[in-house]
Amino acid sequence: MISRITLQTQRSTATSSVLAVIGACLAGAILLLLTGHNPWTAYRLIVERGLLDWDGLSESLKKMAPLLIITAGLLTCLRAGIWNIGIDGQVVIGAIACGVVAGELVGDLPRALLLITGAVVGGLAGSLWALGPAVLTARFGLNEIITTIMMNYLAFNLVSWLVKGPVKAPDIVTAQTKQIPVQDRLPDLPYTDIHIGLIVGVIAIIVVWLLFRETVPGTMLDVLGRNRRAAKHAGLPVTRLIIGAFLVSGGAAGLAGAIDVLGVFGLFKASYQPGYGFVAFALAYLARLRSIAVIPFAAFLSVLVIGGDAMSRRADVPSDFVPVLEGLMLLFFALAVWFEGRRSAA
Amino acid sequence: MTINGVSVVDFAAVLLATGLLRAVPLVVAGIGEAVAERAGLLNLGIEGMMLSGCFFGFWAAYETDSLLIGMLAAVGAGLVLALLFGWLAITLKIDQILIGLAITIAGSGLTGYLFRDQFGGRNVAVDVNTSKIHVPWLKEIPVIGPALFEQQPLFYVSWALVPIVAWVLFRTRFGLQVRGAGEAPVAVDAAGVSVERVRYAAIAIGGALAGFAGGFLCVADVGIFTTNMTVGQGFIALALAMVGNWSPWRIAVGAIVFGLLRSMGDGLQILGVNVRPEFLAMLPYLGVILAMVLLAGRTRLPAALATPYRRGAR
Repeated sequence: MISRITLQTQRSTATSSVLAVIGACLAGAILLLLTGHNPWTAYRLIVERGLLDWDGLSESLKKMAPLLIITAGLLTCLRAGIWNIGIDGQVVIGAIACGVVAGELVGDLPRALLLITGAVVGGLAGSLWALGPAVLTARFGLNEIITTIMMNYLAFNLVSWLVKGPVKAPDIVTAQTKQIPVQDRLPDLPYTDIHIGLIVGVIAIIVVWLLFRETVPGTMLDVLGRNRRAAKHAGLPVTRLIIGAFLVSGGAAGLAGAIDVLGVFGLFKASYQPGYGFVAFALAYLARLRSIAVIPFAAFLSVLVIGGDAMSRRADVPSDFVPVLEGLMLLFFALAVWFEGRRSAA
Repeated sequence: MTINGVSVVDFAAVLLATGLLRAVPLVVAGIGEAVAERAGLLNLGIEGMMLSGCFFGFWAAYETDSLLIGMLAAVGAGLVLALLFGWLAITLKIDQILIGLAITIAGSGLTGYLFRDQFGGRNVAVDVNTSKIHVPWLKEIPVIGPALFEQQPLFYVSWALVPIVAWVLFRTRFGLQVRGAGEAPVAVDAAGVSVERVRYAAIAIGGALAGFAGGFLCVADVGIFTTNMTVGQGFIALALAMVGNWSPWRIAVGAIVFGLLRSMGDGLQILGVNVRPEFLAMLPYLGVILAMVLLAGRTRLPAALATPYRRGAR
């Protein structure tokens, strides 16, 4: 069994993750062949459009921001042995909260204050959405996998209702919140059109790295993840740790949604369902729950998502190809770690 | 008596008949999951297996116009994914939660991919024979008559699975081995029975029934496929198995409650009550959380759930 212990103590981190990626891409190629598409063209287009083209590259780097932030937060849960599957719900709740509040405050606040308010509101909303499952897990011992999945569907329906009704921008036909003008959105990094969310993402990863490396709560979370019963017996504040990990993870997801609103779209719209949750899961495992290792894999998956999107339009391949690859990566990752464990045991 | 021109008796009859129909995927997938979990396997891939049942059942039924072939394809799709789960979880002893989620992610992606690839996003419907059986006399009983005695044959087959699975679990040698594999695998092994083989059989049943549930939903009930059409029903079935204490009878009761919850939405619209569809859609998910809160303290997980069996390991 892959336990968190084997994940973090085996030394050759990169090998099996890279093998998993290669295996998934090969299996994806077989799927493309079977459905009458040319795998070489498809993968070449993904790399060309997501990495080698300036616009594509900057889109990929923009996509990295939410992925880094979410995965940083998710690590606090996964390393503590908590399965927060509710990322997707927490993202849309954070995004709509930010879209509504920032949209209302446009013009009333200077840009910097507006952006900070929007980001904080998004993060708080995400945390709040995670609080329910957090308390149910920590206090009542309910299975958090099921409660967080249910919270996702509740969130999708809730925001769909909100954006079509109560918080819809009044003078526009489409279901969306008030637009934040371009000059009030997140500033770009110098000489690029990549918004500063990328910096926030890298900082989030470093913060989580420091949390687990240097701080007492981080160490306690790791202990909790390795052996929950032992953590209880050792007198660790298990209830507070679980709730804390959920709040951090939900807050990060909400912040990521807010960053998408403040940096990319300038508003929340009904069609915003980015499905980051599963990407973040694949990411966290490919990085073997280590924080810094998330950065290169996030870059890779961002290229895959952006390039895959462009490829599916160009080569007439269904856009679900990238989600297929994400699932395959997780499967092949599990296989690769098993193989590695067998070799080290032999 | 009437409300807004609709007779109360007729309304209750429609509500009950639709409710029992909507309950079918939940009860079938739920008892399948109960068998898997009784044997110590937590199958989070159930959503992906159900969705695959939907799509492959739809595809086969669309090509052949046959309900039977559609359902066989649906069961087959669930079975294939179950064997994949079994190989990874039982033989290779990889973390069940991780592979379950991976199968759900891959299943959701793959069905969406193949649907768009084969049907180009067109809304095509299957044309299979789902005509109802009319039981004379009994179907005339007010309210429960149409719900119980005027449904399609597959409806009765589905509900018959409840007593069958209950009998297998609690009255047969195999059922005892399944329960043993989840509670005390060492004892099963000591009795000379292969824990691995029992678990493979259990996950095969779970996957086949998840596929069946998806096939019923898509081919026999709705008739069209849409991407991610199960919208969490596999996970709801999984939750029902837990709050139903892994007993087919209790899962059936839970499934009926959730089926009625869903048919209430349709019912309110017939009555002309103006409720936002989003709120109606939220009811089952809220219901799951509420049911878990109310019943959490009363259920006990199988001792060896989600734990691979290693001979000689403690």
